[in-house]
Amino acid sequence: MEIRIKSVSKDFFSEGKTIKALSDIDLAIPANQIFTLLGPSGCGKTTLLRCIVGLETPDSGEIAIGEEIVYSKEKNIFVPPEKRGLSMVFQTYAIWPHMTVFDNVAYPLQTRKEAKDEIRSKVEKTLRFVQLEGLENRPATKLSGGQQQRVALARALVPEPKVILFDEPLSNLDAKLREETRKELRSFLTELKITAVYVTHDRIEALSLSDAIAVMKDGQMVEIGTPKKIYFDSDHRFVADFIGRANLINGKVIAFEDSYTVVDSSMGTIACQKNPHASVGDAVTLCIRPEFIKVMEQHTSEDRNIFRGKVESLLFIGDAYEGEVIIADTRLIIRIEPTTIVEEGDEVSLSFDPDHCFLLSK
Amino acid sequence: MFSTRTALTPSLIVIVGFLTVCPVVMLVLGSFSEGIGAFGKFTLEKYIQSYTDPAFAGIIVNTVIFTIGSGFVATLLALFLAYLNTRTNIPFKFLFRIISIIPMMIPHILFSVSWVLLLNPSNGMINLLLKQIFNLENSPFNIYTLGGMILVEGLLDLPIAYLILAPAMAAFDVSLEESSKVSGASNLRTLTRVTLPVLRPAILASFILVIVRSLASFAVPSIIGMPGRIYVLATHIYRIIATGFAADYGMAAAVGMSALAASIALIYLYRYLTSESEKYVTISSRGYRPSLIELKKAKYPLFAIVGLLSFVLIVLPVLVLFYTSLVPYSMVPDARAFSMMNWKHWLDVLKDPISLLSLKNSVFLGIVGATLGVILSIFVSYVIVKVRTRAAGLLESISFLSFSFPGIVIGVGFMWFFVRTPLYATIWSLLIGYIATYLPYGIRPLTSAFIQIHSHLEESSRVCGGGTLYTLRRIVIPLLIPGVVSGWILMATMFVRELTLSVVLSRPGTEVLAVQILRFAEDGLWGKLSALGIMMICISTIIVVIASLIGMKMTRVQETD
Ligand SMILES: Nc1ncnc2c1ncn2[C@@H]1O[C@H](COP(=O)(O)OP(=O)(O)OP(=O)(O)O)[C@@H](O)[C@H]1O
Ligand SMILES: [Mg+2]
Repeated sequence: MEIRIKSVSKDFFSEGKTIKALSDIDLAIPANQIFTLLGPSGCGKTTLLRCIVGLETPDSGEIAIGEEIVYSKEKNIFVPPEKRGLSMVFQTYAIWPHMTVFDNVAYPLQTRKEAKDEIRSKVEKTLRFVQLEGLENRPATKLSGGQQQRVALARALVPEPKVILFDEPLSNLDAKLREETRKELRSFLTELKITAVYVTHDRIEALSLSDAIAVMKDGQMVEIGTPKKIYFDSDHRFVADFIGRANLINGKVIAFEDSYTVVDSSMGTIACQKNPHASVGDAVTLCIRPEFIKVMEQHTSEDRNIFRGKVESLLFIGDAYEGEVIIADTRLIIRIEPTTIVEEGDEVSLSFDPDHCFLLSK
Repeated sequence: MFSTRTALTPSLIVIVGFLTVCPVVMLVLGSFSEGIGAFGKFTLEKYIQSYTDPAFAGIIVNTVIFTIGSGFVATLLALFLAYLNTRTNIPFKFLFRIISIIPMMIPHILFSVSWVLLLNPSNGMINLLLKQIFNLENSPFNIYTLGGMILVEGLLDLPIAYLILAPAMAAFDVSLEESSKVSGASNLRTLTRVTLPVLRPAILASFILVIVRSLASFAVPSIIGMPGRIYVLATHIYRIIATGFAADYGMAAAVGMSALAASIALIYLYRYLTSESEKYVTISSRGYRPSLIELKKAKYPLFAIVGLLSFVLIVLPVLVLFYTSLVPYSMVPDARAFSMMNWKHWLDVLKDPISLLSLKNSVFLGIVGATLGVILSIFVSYVIVKVRTRAAGLLESISFLSFSFPGIVIGVGFMWFFVRTPLYATIWSLLIGYIATYLPYGIRPLTSAFIQIHSHLEESSRVCGGGTLYTLRRIVIPLLIPGVVSGWILMATMFVRELTLSVVLSRPGTEVLAVQILRFAEDGLWGKLSALGIMMICISTIIVVIASLIGMKMTRVQETD
């Protein structure tokens, strides 16, 4: 189901100060997609999620789920969470400690007073789906972190909701388990054709899991797009920096060629992706990701985007090296494949494709 | 919903403030007044009168020796037990848990009486026995001394000291000890040069807390001190208001002020020390288990001492009382004694109208008082844990205000209040006083229960389709029940045995069990006393068992619902 959010704002008051947790958010979350809210800590992701599910009442605006308006300041509508028919997985999982696994998962069906055997078969089916069969009668407190996460997921799936909301569901798992669960979660969700709103501050999680990402900052929506668009082609300095390692270079547009924009910067003239919004003379910021900068083994006839610099430092990071290269005052971070033989202090030639270097207009 | 929520904190502050601040304020006012009937003019007369009394210096000396002595006994014993339990391979470690909990279940007045029955100079059982065996002229022991008081009070406060020291000992950073051993020091030297100095804040904290407790103690000074004419502050106040012909509540208040001041100073010191020791503990606890010291040859002798202590603390008092309730007069347990056993004392007690009334009153106070107290505690804990505004912080501090003050002083403060109300000399005055003084017993378990109910647990239920009432019934209440049950049990057992406040507030018609037991002790009616005492223990136990069963049942019903 589609979720539409229209100019929603929410302030908190604490210790005499006003915190603008959400200011004037507009957002349309398309049906049957995994939609991620991404942003640094405290930017209002959880608050937005809680507004959608009804645990928090916005100060103004309108929220609609499918055809139904669940909140509207103007029309004075507020549907309480238990009537919105959504599911949510909490960051703490919120597993009820006084119940068994079965009772935890059966709870949403029991609130609807479904028949006992109906409930049993649905719960068993869901537990099988999340691979927890056999643990029905285990007290919920006697589960590992990963198992608790699955119980929370099962409890969210069992009423077959049209929308599931996730608030950093993987942040309490260890790194390896988090990776596995991420993959599983994606296959569950795509298989079930559910609208999922997923909150995280982990960029890898956002990139690998989502159909679309909305990046937030200080209670505002900064940019919305597919993971690839956000990663390769963002318009915003903040987004480009937040989503991955990035070299941000300040410069000035000096010319347009047939397929490139030419920018003058402290490290020289750089050809980059064409950008219809820029015009000659504009001060701009360029973004180039470390993995697109190549160390050239031998000279080529190509003369575009070739820079010479000195390797300042090399850091072994497991699958590659991360190097810092100084080119006339500008410091570039580059990724060096282990097959390339470079040492600290070496003079190197670097090159990158103009298509991988993009202009940030905001 | 929102308006009731905002009104909740202020109304609780008013209620709890009345309960705990009122007696303190009344005490201060009373100490500067002319008489309990009417406050009269502001006067320092009562202070002059009480502090120039030539006997007063002696009372202060006794109080200091008694409290500090008890502090030493309890802390040293607790240190010994905590060390054995956390650091050595002593067998049967479960005994330590028992030692730290069970003695709290035996009323202090009965514990004191049992020691009197064993060691009093005229017919204490151990004295009689030793005289018989060694053909002695005089009794070898006399419990009616400062030494006797210190011994018994020290044993009574042992569990508190242990509960402070054992966790500190367990969180101790062993690498400090290991490095000492690596540099060649023996176990003993490591203990005295490294372990004890590092634990000093915790040791001092336990020492201070025991001093606060023994300053507030009334059972030991009244049962053991008064027969030997050894008066401390608590019994001095009692003497002023209860014995003699004209009870002088003004003087009692004036004397009470110094007990109050001493408690406040000590509690501040205690808070300071615990925050110090907590700082220390959090720095050093890195989560590894200390290696246990092999006791080798000392293992069983040491264990024998622990066993003896548990016997003395738990089994002996009950045995002695039960035995005394069955024999016609104090005698050594031998064949003759067993042949003379009968239920006469029990029947006498059951025929004594005042004893029956006190039974009835105490059961009423236990059940009704604990129920009201727990209801209040639920609201207070909710505000403390979930509302957490500055006003909630204020509520928390006033809830714990009168907790560590000497009960008899609080009682005198309440007396100044109640004589002005129709509540005077009714059972309700006792009920109010009990709840005011023992509120923390209800609040502690309930705050932990509320802390456990993370707001996500409720919210998750709402999202799953449960309305407010449904969530309350299936999530909040079941999670609260364990806290409610333990709060109720703690309060009910404290109320059934309450002595210190009651000796001030109880009047003819509102006698309670512990006061009646004190009367029997004053008249030397040990047989009846023991019978009534055993009944008191049984009633407490029955209340505890029934409450736990109900609690278990309620949680189970919720689960399978
Ligand atoms: N109940 C509340 N009372 C007062 N302030 C609040 C409350 N809830 C959230 N805030 C504030 O609103 C802002 C947004 O909080 P929110 O929890 O939505 O952030 P978040 O993006 O989820 O952060 P994180 O990644 O750390 O979970 C923060 O500044 C936070 O301190
Ligand atoms: Mg959050």
